[in-house]
Amino acid sequence: MSVAHPGPTVVELRISARPTLIPTVRTVASDLAGRADFDLDAISDLRMAVDEACTTLVRLTTEDDTLTCVFTVDNESIGVSVSTRPGWLGAKVSTESFGWRVLQTLADEVQAHEGNDGDPDSIGIAMVKRLGAVQ
Amino acid sequence: MTRSEPSSSAPSNGPLESPNGSAELDETSLEADGASEGDGATDGTADDEGERRRDTEYAHLVPLLSEFAALEADDPRREALRDELVEGYLPVARHIARRFSNRGEPMDDLVQVATVGLINAVDRFQPDRGSDFFSFAVPTISGEVRRHFRDQGWSMRVPRRLKDLHVSINATVSELSQGLGRAPRPSEIAAKLGVPVADVLEGLEAAQAYRSSSLDEMLTSEEGGATLGDLLGEADAELERVEYQQALEPLLGELPERERTIVMLRFFGNLTQTQIADRVGISQMHVSRLLAQTLVKLRHRLEAE
Repeated sequence: MSVAHPGPTVVELRISARPTLIPTVRTVASDLAGRADFDLDAISDLRMAVDEACTTLVRLTTEDDTLTCVFTVDNESIGVSVSTRPGWLGAKVSTESFGWRVLQTLADEVQAHEGNDGDPDSIGIAMVKRLGAVQ
Repeated sequence: MTRSEPSSSAPSNGPLESPNGSAELDETSLEADGASEGDGATDGTADDEGERRRDTEYAHLVPLLSEFAALEADDPRREALRDELVEGYLPVARHIARRFSNRGEPMDDLVQVATVGLINAVDRFQPDRGSDFFSFAVPTISGEVRRHFRDQGWSMRVPRRLKDLHVSINATVSELSQGLGRAPRPSEIAAKLGVPVADVLEGLEAAQAYRSSSLDEMLTSEEGGATLGDLLGEADAELERVEYQQALEPLLGELPERERTIVMLRFFGNLTQTQIADRVGISQMHVSRLLAQTLVKLRHRLEAE
């Protein structure tokens, strides 16, 4: 299903960093994947990956902070970048955890980052799920 | 939920394959029960007419019930007798299943749940208590079916149309996966069903409101045991390579065997959900639900450590 888009579609969500809002983000993720005609495994993978990434970051920040989730959809893939401000000095995403293993399995690419373009203090997780990627 | 594969079709394959015709008998023989219209507030009550009919219908089974109840738990004759009883009373289970058939659950699933209820009724019935089998079995069976709806019904109000769509999508997913060797895309499901992709997307979203099916649990927990163990051995080697195994391993050990297998195959064996579904004998959607639930469970437990 290739639609002639001039460039990738971007969807950005900014939510209070609270666990109760994660289902909303995950619903957006699976909706985007479904509309991009990802296969059901990939839709489910992305949904779980977004859940995992958001949960990880919500735990590293405070409830009054904002979680920013940016979805970048093109014909081949969906990129997800979730970021927030660390809730305490030294709060960072662990790449040694089971959760990280889960993300590595579910997404085709995953990276933890500290600091990004606009905000040197931010922490975040960026991943890519490709359309039709097998395993 | 489709369970077309014979291997996972029922706790006991035998009773479901009753000879044609026997299933029809119950229309009259259980009239009294059928009159209770679906929700069965009057379960277990019966008017004299219906009682008399079914008494003759199932009369030959009554002595078998006493015989069965009198056998020791380890008596070798038990199994054959149990099969005969379950098979004999199967029309009752079918009849009750049919009463619930307008609620968006596949009929096959309902018959299977009702059959599980019937098996329980046969196992637990005590003729020496003086009551007749029907007044014990009918509430036991409908209870089982009702529990099925309660346990894996829809967790939010979902329009009937979407429930039906969910049922057909689920069936189509299994079918397409077989042919494609991977999970289908929404467009492929839509083409197969002859509905707009938008409807499929809506149906898939609605599926998220569908609770995990303990029916699948019932149907696969006993039989799949050996092969699941084999699969686990395979995934164990993968687990050894990860550093956090000390923390994770005991938690994995606490999971029900099937959830553990699914988690290991997905995250350590790197199989896709569709491949796991195929190996474990449940639907892809069910694997998806179980994985998501189990991840939440593990996350909480790891957090608590």
